[in-house]
Amino acid sequence: MTTGESAQGPGMKFFVAVWVGLMCIVGIEVIITFRHLPPRELLVWLLALAFLEAGIAVWYFMHLKYERAALAWSLLPALAFVVFMMDHIWPDAFRLLSMRLLSN
Amino acid sequence: MSQVDITAESGHAGLMEDSPYGIPSGKLAMWCFVISDAVTFSAVLFAYGYLRIGSPDWSTPFQFSPTILNGIGMTFILLSSSLTMLAAVEAVKAGRKSAGFGWLCATALLGALFAALHLVEWGRMIDEGWRLFQNPLGGSVHFGAAFFSITGLHLLHVVGGVCALAVIAVGYRRGGYNSIDVEVAGIYWHFVDLVWMFVFPLVYLMNVQ
Amino acid sequence: MSEAAHQHAEPTGFIRKYIFSVDHKVIGLQYIGLGIVAVVLGMILSWLMRLHLGWSTLAIPGLEKLSPAGAPGNVMTPEYYLSLMTMHGTLMVFFVLTNVPFAGFGNYFLPIQVGAPDMAFPRMNMMSFWVTFTAFLVLIAAFFVPGGPPLSGWTAYAPLSAVGQDAGPGEGWGQTLWALSIAIFCVAQLLGALNFIATTLDLRTKGMSLARMPFSTWAWFITSVIGLLAFAVLLPACVLLILDRTAGTSFFIPGGLVISDRLQAHTGGSPLLWQHLFWFFGHPEVYIAILPAIGIVSHILPAFLRRPLLGPRVLISCLAAIGFLSYMVWGHHMFVSGMNPFSAILFSVPTLVITIPATIATLLWIGSVYGARIRFTCASLFCLGFISVFISGGISGFFLAQPSIDTYLHATYFVVAHFHFVMGVAAIFGMFAGIYFWLPKMVGRMMNETLGKIHFWFTFVGVYCIFMPMHYLGLAGNVRRYAAFTDDYLAPLIPVHQFITIAALITGAAQFIFLFNLVWSRFRGPKATENPWQATSLEWSTTSPPPFDNFGGRQLVVHQEPYLYGVEGSAGDYVMQTSPETVEAR
Repeated sequence: MTTGESAQGPGMKFFVAVWVGLMCIVGIEVIITFRHLPPRELLVWLLALAFLEAGIAVWYFMHLKYERAALAWSLLPALAFVVFMMDHIWPDAFRLLSMRLLSN
Repeated sequence: MSQVDITAESGHAGLMEDSPYGIPSGKLAMWCFVISDAVTFSAVLFAYGYLRIGSPDWSTPFQFSPTILNGIGMTFILLSSSLTMLAAVEAVKAGRKSAGFGWLCATALLGALFAALHLVEWGRMIDEGWRLFQNPLGGSVHFGAAFFSITGLHLLHVVGGVCALAVIAVGYRRGGYNSIDVEVAGIYWHFVDLVWMFVFPLVYLMNVQ
Repeated sequence: MSEAAHQHAEPTGFIRKYIFSVDHKVIGLQYIGLGIVAVVLGMILSWLMRLHLGWSTLAIPGLEKLSPAGAPGNVMTPEYYLSLMTMHGTLMVFFVLTNVPFAGFGNYFLPIQVGAPDMAFPRMNMMSFWVTFTAFLVLIAAFFVPGGPPLSGWTAYAPLSAVGQDAGPGEGWGQTLWALSIAIFCVAQLLGALNFIATTLDLRTKGMSLARMPFSTWAWFITSVIGLLAFAVLLPACVLLILDRTAGTSFFIPGGLVISDRLQAHTGGSPLLWQHLFWFFGHPEVYIAILPAIGIVSHILPAFLRRPLLGPRVLISCLAAIGFLSYMVWGHHMFVSGMNPFSAILFSVPTLVITIPATIATLLWIGSVYGARIRFTCASLFCLGFISVFISGGISGFFLAQPSIDTYLHATYFVVAHFHFVMGVAAIFGMFAGIYFWLPKMVGRMMNETLGKIHFWFTFVGVYCIFMPMHYLGLAGNVRRYAAFTDDYLAPLIPVHQFITIAALITGAAQFIFLFNLVWSRFRGPKATENPWQATSLEWSTTSPPPFDNFGGRQLVVHQEPYLYGVEGSAGDYVMQTSPETVEAR
């Protein structure tokens, strides 16, 4: 088993294309920001685009696509699970609003 | 690192069990580190979100010029540095030593440029009266706290990455580091870029006027 | 590029061999040594606490020297009691329970049990230990700074821990050093986790499939995965705490607080945020504390039952399930914190669910022990004792898992009883079992069995005398983290406290039998053979102590599963993992 070299990926041309795509996503993010959507809607869009960007970066730039599937299956669900668990804190964040001192 | 550390590499198939992921140990360790660091950044971003949701007086002071324009520039620089990093890995895997060294240096320089622009931006904000504990617009003090701590944590990773890249570049040219070490550094560097992909929308774009 | 055969050469010189060593065995011993220093210090702190709880006006000789402000006239102030309690908890949880069973024994035996010559990253391993040591020094420094150690508990709840000096003695430099120490500790643990994961996955010798790994190796592996993700949250939490304390931020400090007659300049933060961040780490942390001990006990027990455990794959699945579920339950520490009460349900259910794999594991042990011809040695006694105290501690967990009951029991001695049984006793029993079992391998000398058995019985009876009455105290409403009990309803309970104190002092004194045994045996104990326990795993296929590269240049080949006891083998009633003989399926 030749573990000394990682699986072959595509060439630089492909990565430049991915780079262009990522810059386009950044552009879309900036454009929708200046459409002055309500904050909640903007957040959903920006998060979705950010995850898309991140996914592309992890899959192609970090070569996760070209590794064994087991690696992605081990790393990503664990991260997703831990981050998902952090969502438990949001109810307390919303209640914080009603717990403010009146003078503040 | 590569001379002393024992990694499961080609040459002793038959003497050891196969690694389930088929990658060198250094690479696996860097992936695990990236996951752990992602959890760290997530915790800080969640804390930011928590305090922002709970603050009715949250400020949104950023305008297109100079902040968002600067942010786009910084994003461009960091994304390009990921591209040069990929070029470095390609060159190094093909054994093109000077090209590899050159691309590594380019990556480090772009990272340094990012850090410089960032510090200039910080200087500008501090001049306007922003602090960790102070909001010149009279809104929530958490804005400064969140902004400086999140971007500061990221900046720390960028600076650390630039130093590491410089060490690896020089070490690679001297023959002390090999293509795997460069690849491992690449995974870290792409991760730093990846974190920015969340920081820019959540900390900059979400705080546009 | 580098191959297993080309690992680092044997070091020469005292410094390279014993101080800045990259050898995982030396590093493991360094962690264990640090843990022993920490546990003795933590135990002394507990004695001081217990003396004060039993006799709150007692003048303890020498205390004023340690802290003139904290103990004027040698009588502990309530604030100093809380400071000692904070340091007791911090030392024990971090520098004993996370260090010894995991970093200590894990570093020593993980590579050997998988057949590797060292950890995957020996230099990073060395760095992990010295970073841990630095964290220890920073923590101890808190005793000697103005104001002394912090008084917010090992949990360091905000705003007490975040507002600074106004909150009390120790809340100046002491608390900042505490936060710094823990942040440094997180970094060390992260580096250690990377090493454990890479070594387990990549450096197993031929024939050592994941299924053939001993329970201890599985436990260390699962623990390191938990740690990788948990310490990642504590680190930024401590950094944000330090920012609150030194940089004027208000992450955890709400507005309008008047402390020591001074309006605090902070505003807008949330103490609940600290609790969420801390316990998000804190709950997986307690499983980091217990899982290695579970692995060690499960590994040792078959050797003295002379038969394998029931359901080994089920047991490993239980460990993994506990690790997974540990991330879902942290809110059970916060039922009365002011957290959204509906969140309490979301935390309570997984907490009750996590009792299932723990119970299954316990039943597997009990089922394995039942009917076995047990060889009673110190190691096996502590394993059996472990099962007992794990059950005792676990049962109180069922009660605390439910918000309704926890509303009453939270912050009482019932909780103190629970976590001491599972962490302070069960995990420590796992450590003792590990030392009695593995010291012959580590230093090449047998420990004295008689002294060990005396140690066991004093300890086993002693811990029950100490911690069982605490359940009663808790149910009676005895609040924890109080320096003295002056309320009408608590005064009748003081005799119980006095009984506990006496039991604690006697049990503590008995630990010196163990320390004496340890040191004596190290230098004067009978020489240990390669396999004094007739055990099967790879650490028993090498000399005692192992040579520098663990196996003397041999590359072991593994042919068997790890616990073939009670089978007719060429060596006796067992078959070693390295033995190529065919074993008939039972």
